[in-house]
Amino acid sequence: MENLVYRHNRITRATHWIDALAIMILVMSGFQIFNAHPHLYWGNTSEPDRAFLSIAATSDDGEVRGFFRIYGWKLDTTGVLGAQNTDMGPTPRAFPSWITVPGYFWLAGGRRWHFFFAWIFVLNGLLYLIYNLANGHLRKFLFTARDAARVPAMVLYYLRIRGSSPQEGEYNPLQRMAYTSVFFVLTPLIMLSGMAMSPQLNTAFHWLPAMFGGRQSARSIHFILTFLFVSFTFGHVFMVVMTGIFNNIRSMVTGWYREKGPDISEPGWIQNFKEEMIQKPAKVPVLHQLSSPDVEEVRPVEETLPACIEPEEQNKDISKSATQDAQIPLESPKQVLLTYTDEAKKDKSE
Amino acid sequence: MNLSRRHLLLGAVQGAGLLLLSGCEKAFNSLQQNKKFLSVLESAEGANQRLQRLLTGKNKLAQEFTEQEISRYFKPNGNPPPITMDYAADAKKQWSAWRLEISGLVKQPARFSLTDLKSMPARTQITRHDCVEGWSAIAKWKGVPLTEIMQRVQPTPEARYVVFHCMDTDDNGALYYESIDFRDAHHPQTILAYEMNDHALPIAHGAPLRLRIETQLGYKHAKYIRKIEFVATYDKIASGKGGYWEDQGYEWYAGI
Repeated sequence: MENLVYRHNRITRATHWIDALAIMILVMSGFQIFNAHPHLYWGNTSEPDRAFLSIAATSDDGEVRGFFRIYGWKLDTTGVLGAQNTDMGPTPRAFPSWITVPGYFWLAGGRRWHFFFAWIFVLNGLLYLIYNLANGHLRKFLFTARDAARVPAMVLYYLRIRGSSPQEGEYNPLQRMAYTSVFFVLTPLIMLSGMAMSPQLNTAFHWLPAMFGGRQSARSIHFILTFLFVSFTFGHVFMVVMTGIFNNIRSMVTGWYREKGPDISEPGWIQNFKEEMIQKPAKVPVLHQLSSPDVEEVRPVEETLPACIEPEEQNKDISKSATQDAQIPLESPKQVLLTYTDEAKKDKSE
Repeated sequence: MNLSRRHLLLGAVQGAGLLLLSGCEKAFNSLQQNKKFLSVLESAEGANQRLQRLLTGKNKLAQEFTEQEISRYFKPNGNPPPITMDYAADAKKQWSAWRLEISGLVKQPARFSLTDLKSMPARTQITRHDCVEGWSAIAKWKGVPLTEIMQRVQPTPEARYVVFHCMDTDDNGALYYESIDFRDAHHPQTILAYEMNDHALPIAHGAPLRLRIETQLGYKHAKYIRKIEFVATYDKIASGKGGYWEDQGYEWYAGI
């Protein structure tokens, strides 16, 4: 049985995809900018012998070899990093053309893309933030001390060591931790470290590069945070794929997500359903998870759930109800679904 | 699924990935060539300029550093020094023949020798130079505030930009030039520097005279200056974008 629930509002969906595009362009044009001076330093200045990270090329013996070096550790990365294979043989280039915007080496172009999409990223993020703060959606995944206590349990659940999920509400503790840290820590930091590189802003805000330990430190941190964004994105996409790629993508395109519910077509579904309810405390009903971001008034329905039905009684119920939906004494998931559908339509027609 | 089918599938996925990547690369590159799209991207420049200047306000001083923080190495970037005979000969004579010409929309056009400039009130500052490429270096600069020159030549009300004409050229012979507006021209740290780290400005760093404009990136800091022109618009100079690098796609507003 499938229950379609309206999970993501229009603004969330639109800003999600704009954000995805903006982050992709920002990362790729950022690599283009990095290519102009592929070394990172700590402090205010860039003494050539003090780079802690370099993605560059050597041409000893006339042969161009690309390398990646971080502190004392060096790796030959010819063909991928430092030197790219071209028609004319390996050519020095920190990040290869297929991962930079624009593809050919042009710092000015990279800067144009970067600064334009930085505006898109910020304005889009503000729209998301203001809209979802106003409607209370953001509260659902704000990481709290309560969630922090549940993180180990959630990790164990993901590792399949623990049988039940400690999830409460729509987002589990790890999701809350990930989203909260990306939205409220990573994003402000990457914006500030980017702005810390601006000579104009530095005239009025000396603290801006100072808070990162100097302008070159700000540049290095900007670069490192980029990889935190990239790893978040990979983790995000991995989870999207693992938890039902089609369903997840549909919910972020159309808003509708298919919740797992009891399979009514299967005989004995209600027994399974009830057993599940008995196992779980009544406060964490399936319906709670069903609730769509914009629907609050559906909550009372959970009171009608058979949270504490005696096992003996249950058996009688199954024989009656297993064959026909119409005889189910409970409010069926389908009825609940109707409520959501109406609400979602309202939201859409706004 | 047998092994060959698996290989085939893996190959197909890899192929699709590569096609997607090279497709993206081509798409980005062709967008980059598209004038209309480019002008959309370029709209960020004006937004950055307005917002940043609004946030900072006028005449806020860039951070100044201590003697100990001066960089051991300062990359001499950009075009090679002018290679004319006159330039080399004059360098040997401590720039006795060199004159800074001030022209354009000014009430009193003038020509200043290096000695003239050195006799004017000077400013010394230890500041950080930020290159558009990403590196930074700290040096000590001494020179004449641009405002001192402006007081002497009296720009007319029509003048809106200060254009710096330089002696260095690129491989194709294009002369370096730069332009700034009056807001940055009046900035206290905007100086015409003739000394670097307590020595006469080295040839690699723009001798005899270079601009220091601490609100903007390195390419605005014109070196090897021979003429300063006050203009209402820079449309008619070279390719009309207001500077050598600007003519090649870099932002005129280099505060970011």
